Order: sequence, then structure tokens, then C-alpha cells
Amino acid sequence: MSLEVAIEKSVPGFRLAVEFTADGAPLGLLGPSGSGKTMTLRGIAGLETPDRGRIVLHGRVLFDSERRIDVPARERRIGLLFQNYALFPHLTVAENIAFGLRSLADAERDKRVSEQLAAAHLEGLADRHPATLSGGEQQRVALARALAIEPAALLLDEPFSALDTHLRAALERQLRETLARYGGSTLFVSHNLEEAYRVCENLVVLVKGSVAAQGPKEEIFRHPPTLEVARVTGCKNFSRACRLPDGRVEALDWGCSLRVAQPFAKAPEHIAIRAHHVRVLPAQKLGQENCENLFPCWLAAMTETPFRATLDLRIGAPAAGADFQLQAEVFKQEWESFRDLPQPWAIELAADRLFLLPD
Amino acid sequence: MNWEAIALSLKLAVCVAGILLAAGLPIAYWVTFSRWRWKFLVEAVVALPLVLPPTVLGYYILVGLGPRHFAGKIWQSWFGHTLPFTFGGLLAASVLYSLPFAVQPISAGFDAVDRRLIEASWTLGASRLATFFRVILPLSAAGAVTGIVLSFAHTIGEFGVVLMVGGNIPGVTRTVSIDIYDQVQAANYDVANRTAVVLLLFSFLVLALIYGTNRRAVSLWRRF
Repeated sequence: MSLEVAIEKSVPGFRLAVEFTADGAPLGLLGPSGSGKTMTLRGIAGLETPDRGRIVLHGRVLFDSERRIDVPARERRIGLLFQNYALFPHLTVAENIAFGLRSLADAERDKRVSEQLAAAHLEGLADRHPATLSGGEQQRVALARALAIEPAALLLDEPFSALDTHLRAALERQLRETLARYGGSTLFVSHNLEEAYRVCENLVVLVKGSVAAQGPKEEIFRHPPTLEVARVTGCKNFSRACRLPDGRVEALDWGCSLRVAQPFAKAPEHIAIRAHHVRVLPAQKLGQENCENLFPCWLAAMTETPFRATLDLRIGAPAAGADFQLQAEVFKQEWESFRDLPQPWAIELAADRLFLLPD
Repeated sequence: MNWEAIALSLKLAVCVAGILLAAGLPIAYWVTFSRWRWKFLVEAVVALPLVLPPTVLGYYILVGLGPRHFAGKIWQSWFGHTLPFTFGGLLAASVLYSLPFAVQPISAGFDAVDRRLIEASWTLGASRLATFFRVILPLSAAGAVTGIVLSFAHTIGEFGVVLMVGGNIPGVTRTVSIDIYDQVQAANYDVANRTAVVLLLFSFLVLALIYGTNRRAVSLWRRF
């Protein structure tokens, strides 16, 4: 069970060149909008012809520019879930699901449709038209329609982006269950890193049309190989960096020198830390001996969500206006424990949380 | 009233609408979905009858299908007579003249179909032909109906091309509009008026039908 993709395509102002392999576990294609995720998916489905490359699904060559093989979309047996679901508005839910089952005998087709209806919890909606369904129901119909043809691979293009937030959690759980039962290769395209992290085991990070990172999701989140990947995976704090003679790292934009746990051979270009790894403490910690990477900091601005506070901080000197260097994300109760204390506070950039980026 | 002329006009219009339904769908499909870079030239040729004076079109059809030209010679060698001044000649000229009235609304209907639905159909294993009949045509039926009704009505009302190609032979090429012209020439204003009123009411009803049903056709699947 594997989907091997190595394709190149140039369009005016954009060049796509990606190479990755998906096995049994869902593979997440993560990247900002315009990074080529959808184009990659369309290439695999046969809706877009790459300029060069190869696509092999379970040993079956779907595209090979050198051998001039280009299997048309209708013969690829790839289930594609469109971002807007693309349900046929003139057909009922049952007819939509049966659309790809034309070649089957009536009885077999009806059986397949009722199986899909049951699996997607859509039994009561078989005779309804798509326009009367909620967004979540439409998504389930589209997924059932794609799965009904028993595709060798399933491609999901931002399956949750058209849904209200409160619907997403339940549908995501349902999707994870469906994917666990599904035997083929799954590609899950998303720009939402948390969503991709929950649904997929392995990730491919696309930046500007090429693969910036690929591998197990934990690995990519812990040690992003590049600045772009760190950004895509949600890291907010970066500083240009240079190595000091004593083995420490000078963070040029933050104005401090830091001990870093991660070993590095090459001189790093940037140093980074995730906002929820930045700790803010009362000032009296500053003088204590066993503390490292601890600096005085001042608050420039604060934004809050119901349970968390995002603090814009400056190291070394009070903030002038909204100018800040680091963002810290802390729980509300933590924030309330030091908000009324006099500034400066202490900021801790833990050595094992800092990571270095070679470029 | 000249019932013979009315019957002839109806017969001509039904034949034209039928031929344009068969020919208009593939032409409109090609015009809508082809990615050929010189497609616009074909589009311009299809649209020519919209702007050309009917006399110009009629003249070229008359000459082109006449016994001195290639197409006319072939026709004559096969059927033993030339096309001009026969019902067949009139039909050929009317089909060409009404072509844009069929192709443009059908093509507009095709164009309004969401491309992702077409692509979804392909990924579900449907061929291009199956996609056409199962997705594109059902979702653009209003455009196809409009195109066929318009070409029918346009044929009923045509004058210049009929006069150039068909002449004025009772029962063969004398259509309603020619008949009205004849009556006016002969100062039979009463007769001309009666036929004219019929034609006016007919045209109004056809257009009202198109606008009325189109709205219903569009809202038909949204209502559910």
C-alpha cells in the first residue's frame, strides 16, 4: 500500500516540484495557501497534467512523463474530496453516492449505497437534495461518494475549511474513524497545523511549491529543519543567531546570549522558541543562581482568548509602544499570578525548548 | 390568412430547431470546453449571422449552393437538382442563419456549470460522454431549451435570407414573413395585418414562455 509521487509543473509565476511517498497511514500535506497543495492533489487525481515526473499507486503507474503514461482521471480510481464537496445539485444523496457505481448490477449498487449511508450516519437523508443539507452533512455525503467506488487512494482537500468551528471537532473524529477503517493511502491537505497533526501520522510541509520537510509529525514539530517549516508549524519567535566562542548562542534580535541543549555542528542562522514554551516569572527569580537563560522583560501588549493570554514582551529595556521581541502564550491563571507585580518580570527561554535553524 | 404559408413556416421552424438541437449541443460543447488557441475564430464564424445583413448571408448561400460552385455541383450530382429555390435550400440557409441563436444560450448554460462538478464526475469514473449526459446537460437544460426555442422563433420570423435563397414559391418557399410582404405589395393591408398580428402574438408568447420557464428551471433544484 503506497502512493509514490514525484512531479514537477510550472505555471506562470509558480513552480511546483514535489516528491514524497504515502504508505498506509494518513499523510498530511501542510502548507500556507499558495504553496501548491491543491495543485499536487489535482496532479495525483489526474485533473492536472504535470510537466515531468512519476506517480505510482500500489505499483500501478498512473503517470510517467518519460514513458508517456498518463492514465485519465476516470480510470485512476482515486477518491477526491473537493474543498467545497462538489455534490451534484440535481441528484439526491443516494444518487450522488451511487454516481460512480454505474457498472455494478442494481442489487449490488443498492447494497453499496446503503452501506455507505449507514457508515456515514446518513440513512434518513437518502432522498434529500444537497442544497437542503447542512455543511457537515454535505461533507459526509461527499466522503461517502468518494469511498463508494472503493478507491485505491483517498485525497482530502481541506475537508473542514468550509465548516463552522463547532462542527469540526465531531466531523474530525468521524473522519479519523473512517480513515482508520479505510485500507488505501490517504492524503490530507490542510493549512491548519493542529488539524493535520491530529489526523495524520506523517507530514509533508510544502513551502512555495517544494517540499520543505517530511517525516513523522513529532519530529517535524520538535526540530523543524528550516525557518519556513518552523513558521508553518506555528512557531512565532525567531531571532537571527550567531555562535559564541564559549559554545553559547547570541540571539541578535532578542539581545541576549543563550545556552542551547540541541547540539549543532554548523553555525546556526536563526534561533527560535514556541510561544507556549516561553515562561514568564516574577522578578525575584532573576538573581537566583541555578537559573539560566533568564532575563528581565517588559510587557508591550497583551491579547486574550477565553483561557489563554498572549503577551508581547521585550527583553532588557521597557517597551516603546507596541514594539516587541518575543511572544509568550500562558494560561489565564498564570497571567493573573503576575499581572499586578511591578515590571520587569523574568522571562525564561529554556535551553531544551530553544531550537536552531541552519537557514 | 394564408394557411399554406403558416404551415410552411411552422414546418421549416420545427426542422431547423430539430437540426440545431442535434448540431448545437456538440458545437456549443466544443466552443465552451475546447482549449484550442484559435477557438475564437470559430466563435466569430458561428456568431456572424448575428451581425451580417441577411442579404449578405443569403447571397453567399445562394451563390455557394448554386450550380456553378463546388458545393452546389456536388449536391447536384447527388440529388439531381440544386438547392436554391427549394425547401432544402431554405432549410440549409435557415439553419446557418439561426446557428448563433442556438449555440450561444446552450454554451452559456454549459459555461455556468461548476467545473468542479465535471471534475468530480471524472474522478468517479464517468467518461466525458457520460459526464455530459449525467451532469452537464441536466444542469444546463434551461440553456438548451432557450437555444432551441429561440432558433425556432427566429426561423418563423426570418425574411431576408428566405427571400434571397428561397424566392417566393407558394407551398415550397413562401413563408409567413414573405406572405406579409407580398400582401403589402399588393395593397391587401387587411390580410397583411391579420397575419402580422398572429406573428406578433406568437413571438410574444414564445419569449414570455422562455423567460417564465427559465426562472422555474433554474429554481427547480434550488427549491428542494
